[in-house]
Amino acid sequence: MDFNNLTIRRFHEGLTQKLFSVVEATTFFLDTIKKQDPHIHAYLSVREDEARASAREIDNNIKEGKETPLLAGVPCAVKDNMLLEGEVTTAASKILKTYKGTYDATTIKRLKNGSVVILGKTNLDEFAMGASTENSGFFKTLNPWDSTRVPGGSSGGSVAAVASGMAFAALGSDTGGSIRQPSAFCGVVGLKPTYGAVSRFGLIALASSLDQIGPVTRTVEDARILFDTIKGKDGYDSTTVDLQNFKSSSSVKDFVIGIPKEYFIDGLDDEVKKGLEVAMEKLKKLGFKFKEISLPHTKYAISVYYIVLTAEVSTNLARLDGVRYERARDVNTLSDVYMHTRGEGFGDEVKRRILLGTFVLSSGYYDAYYTKAQKVRRLIQQDFDEAFKQVDVIFAPTTPTIAFKMGEKSDPLSMYLADIFTCPINLAGLPSLAVPVESLFSALYSPSHLPVGFQLIGKRFHENDILSVGELYEKE
Amino acid sequence: MIEEKDVVRLANLARIPLHKNDAQKLVHDFENILDYFEQLKEVSTSSIAPIAGGTLLSNEVRNDEKKINTLLSEKAIGIFPQAEDGFLVVPPVFE
Repeated sequence: MDFNNLTIRRFHEGLTQKLFSVVEATTFFLDTIKKQDPHIHAYLSVREDEARASAREIDNNIKEGKETPLLAGVPCAVKDNMLLEGEVTTAASKILKTYKGTYDATTIKRLKNGSVVILGKTNLDEFAMGASTENSGFFKTLNPWDSTRVPGGSSGGSVAAVASGMAFAALGSDTGGSIRQPSAFCGVVGLKPTYGAVSRFGLIALASSLDQIGPVTRTVEDARILFDTIKGKDGYDSTTVDLQNFKSSSSVKDFVIGIPKEYFIDGLDDEVKKGLEVAMEKLKKLGFKFKEISLPHTKYAISVYYIVLTAEVSTNLARLDGVRYERARDVNTLSDVYMHTRGEGFGDEVKRRILLGTFVLSSGYYDAYYTKAQKVRRLIQQDFDEAFKQVDVIFAPTTPTIAFKMGEKSDPLSMYLADIFTCPINLAGLPSLAVPVESLFSALYSPSHLPVGFQLIGKRFHENDILSVGELYEKE
Repeated sequence: MIEEKDVVRLANLARIPLHKNDAQKLVHDFENILDYFEQLKEVSTSSIAPIAGGTLLSNEVRNDEKKINTLLSEKAIGIFPQAEDGFLVVPPVFE
């Protein structure tokens, strides 16, 4: 059985028709991991025994005639910044290398309730700070289509695992593009939900006003299924809402798609430009109308993002001081505990962002940086609100370039600029779906033909709109 | 602009030890980054209120019911780097 050409629905049909068992499917993916991961390094830990045990349990439930959920037995990976009870969760940082989750994150609990098999925890830039997965505290993940290039980040491990058939689907998290940018670089589908659509309970926080967990899948249809499983109100995250209340007024076929002129700039790679043209042509063929729109504050998004983000980072990571979590050894005073634990435990990029965050929040600079950024953030949000009065969905490039080379962006600012098309969406709290121009099922990716993606940005809590357009696109 | 002594002070506030070379490199990185942030000065925001947080919800409260999860407390104590009789052990605060 080849599980690499199946959608979740077809997997479910195969399972209920007894064409294969969950144990067989799980074994297939565990074998693929053994074969592939020594070359790609997508996983930080593989839960072989636990995955086999839950596969056997799901098979037994099916045998006993219990209800089989749509996601039953689907072998998934999760980014290692989501807690699994009793299991090591590192956020790819040495400062948490032995930390064990004391409860399941809400998203993990919902996957488990859906009888998903969790294969393992995937690599990321330390605490999700990065756009290449080169900043992991443990090792770098490689792009499965060209090992000299990055998979993108920070959810590089989850995305590389799905793209290379080492997981059927995965969960990532997206603070400024960390699901969508690697999805574009590796040719898979990634959804960054509306802020408040998915619970962040049990997600190790990067920037609490921007973080969202979302699915990484091979098709848009699969992304919808995974999103439906994890979304919705959660008593443990007071920013979550019940999505059932949000319905679109017009039918998908009548949607007008906005093209923001600020996203189609000179700096776009030729490959990206060509890919976007192909995608737009296809959407036109499907009958969608396009309308040019303007998001005038786009060029300020990177500045706003890195001020707000580092401010939140500096406060969120203050708790990692050696008192309750991993502690440096052989130190005698409390102040040495702080200094040694943080000095040895954090990587360079994490230290840089904590210090930058400490600076923008410090007395005398707070108004000039932090308050100013939060004001411009409102303007960025208002740009989108105005645009959505004229259009239903916005079409934009996900990244200005195809996957870049390992080590290419050694200067921090040039790495920050990789988020230029993705971070405005997080600042505005909107949903956005990253779609590959060519589906993973039909494309033949290689070092001379690397993936290109586009994103469909939706109104707040209108995930249904962007998923519907994406589904029509992938069926055409 | 930012100087080495500023970076040293920030590092001390954030409880991050710095080597001499780190401080010089950070000054260089911060100069580039802060220089880029200068663009925000172009934007007129005199009548704009700053956003607070990512949500549009306000006054969200949970039901006022008693919740005591002793099992969770035990697990949390279980991951402390050093514990004694259910308490967290830290080096002396006063020397």
